[in-house]
Amino acid sequence: MKKKLNFKRFSIYFDPYLFIAISLLSIMGLIFLYSASQGDINTIAKQSAFVGLGLFLMFLLSQPDPDFYNTFSGVFLIFSLILIFITMIFGKEINGAKRWLDLGIFTLQSSEIIKISLPIFLSSYLYNKPLPISPVHTFLTLTLIGFTFLLVARQPDLGTALVVLMAGVYILFLAGLSWKFIGTSFGLLLLSLPFLWNNFLEPFQRQRIQTLFNPTADPYGAGWNITQSKIAIGSGGVDGKGYQEGSQAHLDFLPEAETDFIFAVIAEEFGFVGVCILLSIFFFILLRCLYLAFNARDRFCRLTIGGLSLVFASTLFINLSMVAGIIPVVGMPLPFVSKGGSSLLSFYIAFGIIISMATHKKLMQR
Amino acid sequence: MIELEERNLEKKSFFKRLILIYFFFAVLFVIFFYKIYSLQVAGFTDYASASLKNKTRDVLLQPARGIIYDRKGNILINNVPSYSLIIKPWKVESLDKFILSIGEIISLNEKELNYVNENFKKKAAYNRELTIKTNLSAEEIARFEVRSYKYPNAFIDVRYSRQSKYPNLFSHAIGYVGGVSDEQLSKILSDQELKKIETIYKYSNGFLTGKTGMEHTYDNLLRGSFGKKTYEVDAAGRFLRELEHIPATNGSNLFTTLDLKSQKTALNQMNNRRGAVVAIEISTGAIVTYLSSPSFSVNDIARGISTKDFDIMLKDKDKPFFDRAGQGRYSPASTIKPLIGLFGIQEKIIDWNFTINDPGFFILPEDQRIYRGWKKGGHGTINLSDALIQSSNTFFFSLAYESNIDKLINYLSEFGFGKNICLDCFNSDKGLLPSPEWKMNNLNFRWFKGDTVNLGVGQGYLSATPIQLSYYSAFLANKGSLNKLSFIKADNLGYEELINSRITDSDWDKLHASMIGVIEDPKGTARRLKSLKSYIVAAKSGTVELVSTDTKEDYQIVRENKGNRDHAIIIAFGPMPNPKYAVSVVIENGESGGSVAGPVAIEVLNSLIKK
Repeated sequence: MKKKLNFKRFSIYFDPYLFIAISLLSIMGLIFLYSASQGDINTIAKQSAFVGLGLFLMFLLSQPDPDFYNTFSGVFLIFSLILIFITMIFGKEINGAKRWLDLGIFTLQSSEIIKISLPIFLSSYLYNKPLPISPVHTFLTLTLIGFTFLLVARQPDLGTALVVLMAGVYILFLAGLSWKFIGTSFGLLLLSLPFLWNNFLEPFQRQRIQTLFNPTADPYGAGWNITQSKIAIGSGGVDGKGYQEGSQAHLDFLPEAETDFIFAVIAEEFGFVGVCILLSIFFFILLRCLYLAFNARDRFCRLTIGGLSLVFASTLFINLSMVAGIIPVVGMPLPFVSKGGSSLLSFYIAFGIIISMATHKKLMQR
Repeated sequence: MIELEERNLEKKSFFKRLILIYFFFAVLFVIFFYKIYSLQVAGFTDYASASLKNKTRDVLLQPARGIIYDRKGNILINNVPSYSLIIKPWKVESLDKFILSIGEIISLNEKELNYVNENFKKKAAYNRELTIKTNLSAEEIARFEVRSYKYPNAFIDVRYSRQSKYPNLFSHAIGYVGGVSDEQLSKILSDQELKKIETIYKYSNGFLTGKTGMEHTYDNLLRGSFGKKTYEVDAAGRFLRELEHIPATNGSNLFTTLDLKSQKTALNQMNNRRGAVVAIEISTGAIVTYLSSPSFSVNDIARGISTKDFDIMLKDKDKPFFDRAGQGRYSPASTIKPLIGLFGIQEKIIDWNFTINDPGFFILPEDQRIYRGWKKGGHGTINLSDALIQSSNTFFFSLAYESNIDKLINYLSEFGFGKNICLDCFNSDKGLLPSPEWKMNNLNFRWFKGDTVNLGVGQGYLSATPIQLSYYSAFLANKGSLNKLSFIKADNLGYEELINSRITDSDWDKLHASMIGVIEDPKGTARRLKSLKSYIVAAKSGTVELVSTDTKEDYQIVRENKGNRDHAIIIAFGPMPNPKYAVSVVIENGESGGSVAGPVAIEVLNSLIKK
């Protein structure tokens, strides 16, 4: 559904459903974060600033015509890649990972930008290619995806790298990758899993995967996060322990309570009921994206909306599955809720672009 | 530019594929939702308790141990408060400043300072209390209390330690307490359904359990139950606030049947000689005196004796830790004779008028082996009464020779030999009641007639503890029935009735008369005791041969080695004709039952009978 308001010469592009849902989620996020950070005003002030900036960016980025993104998608991609290279050289090292670029007012996580610019570029590259996608284009696309993936994975940031990989693959798939190719490569991937396990994963990543299958083997070491997260979620029960009453979070049993594991705090304090309400908002956003994708004006917009919304969905489900102990621990925030700068802003930007793609209509549909 | 038809095809393919991916996410969502449901709804109870376990820590509170009294209400063992200065390290900004400041009121020695410096940081990190000085004097306490407003980070707390008012007197009867082993502690805690706490705590709070004697037997009663304080803790283990406080329940006091006066008498009379004294109140089976000599100070043990000193005591050849009264095995020697005599009467092998001529020895018909009496030339023509008074061996050799060994063993068992006759003695030994089966199994020899003959005078394999001998003494005094022995005033715990009581009152009276004769008769083996008392006492003395000798001259050589000298032994009861107390005394290497062990027994009876 488009909303086009005429102010004489200006048109304002705006999707009230997404805007309300995302604002609601952002405000709830601030409330949750206040508890998770144990009432730290600094954290909340900073996060509020990001939320405000994010909502503004979202609105701003809804305004340009999709053709603008189409035209400049290559520039965006190259800009993002340069940022990653700069990070690799000048980046700030935290916990053994070089992911952040110190910009003075805040530190930028460069990989957060490429997870948006890559799908837009791929949409722009593939939207006018005949179906099914020819082997040459498939190969070129996959090369770009693989290259970007390796760049991010080297930082090392396996979580974001996986999202980048998925984003690329989603676009390729949605653009019409041949099923034969999909079947073949999937088979090859399965066969190469042992090789990847031994040569590609860092030792701590391997351990996380092993911990998942046997968290009780080392409850105070590698299994600590999963164990404490499960206790936090489970002890929340149906109606939760009450706001700011979560002992797992407030007594520091739960690691990364403000960031990756904030869902466990919500589950502990608001219980099953709170979890259902939160999930229904996420669910609503995803369904709205599906609707917008179906009604987009052209193939480029369709692909972009589909790709970006799937990046959002992937991040969401990786985070939820990790917190619930279904998949290994990977650094992945809960969109719009977890504390963060770059990762938080990236989703406002993504949705700004989604709204732009959904609300701009050509006078005559092509 | 792609054609319209192709565009529609593309659109259709896109929708299908997007729906497919959404479907994939929907499946993921269902899995996730199921997982959350199983955690929050189905698994709630488990996770709620795990969460509670995470955030709480229990600190146990020491209960005061029950006080132990003697039968007249004198306190034997008490708890003495020990005041300790305790600080809350997390509230102390600078340890050096604090020590400087507190040092003006309560001085700390080097050892204490080292302890504080070593443990301060660790305790501070976990918000835990640190004891910096124990056993504060009244003066130090007063000095601190008036200035306590200056020290919100320190306080004085009281811990109780065990103290005996008579440290050497009841060392074996009451025993001592000590720290708890890990296993014990976890058992105690599981009995109380409390969480196991960290090792640091169990010793700092002075948890004690009885290690020996009544402290051990009645530990459950004396111990009381631990209280606890539950604290909220964070992930680092810091104590944040107190959630719950359950006070400790103090242990019950124990009112024993022990008699302070007679125990003191026994200790003085034994005068550190090796041996044991046990006295019984006949009407109840109550143990009133229970002494193993030499003794040791239980307070030294409770205060924490050094390993070196402990080693010295362990290696002491007199073995002060060894409970001779309950665990020392001694041949009953001639004290067994009244029982053998009764057996002869009951089995109708002899009667009171039956006499033999005692030449001073007995020849075993089977192998012509000679069994000697203690008196050269013998006692002449004697009946059972004479044989008891003069302690004729020949009479009892020949009586035993005529006896059926199985019946005799059964009879001995009825008098408490080879059995546990005490309800609450700590680790008491059953002694040894030999039998043909026992000998075959343990020594690989069949039972010889000579073994039965030896049994007749209480020598050979038969052995008994002083507590068994005191039981036997009381059993004889009470004419064949007696409560099981006990240290506490329990209700009647059931008489040990003599199963085959064909022994008539007149037989008992004649036996008592004979045993009175042991002291009162001019020929009695313990006649020297006659002047030591103002009432009538029945007794039977014994001398335990450690090395078998044929002549007095041979014994003179043997006794050169003090460890080879005969043990002196006596059982006695009085005042006759209605005896109230029975006693047994063993003095190792004391040589003469009548004149060495006898006076101890009489003095103990005096202390019990004379008001």
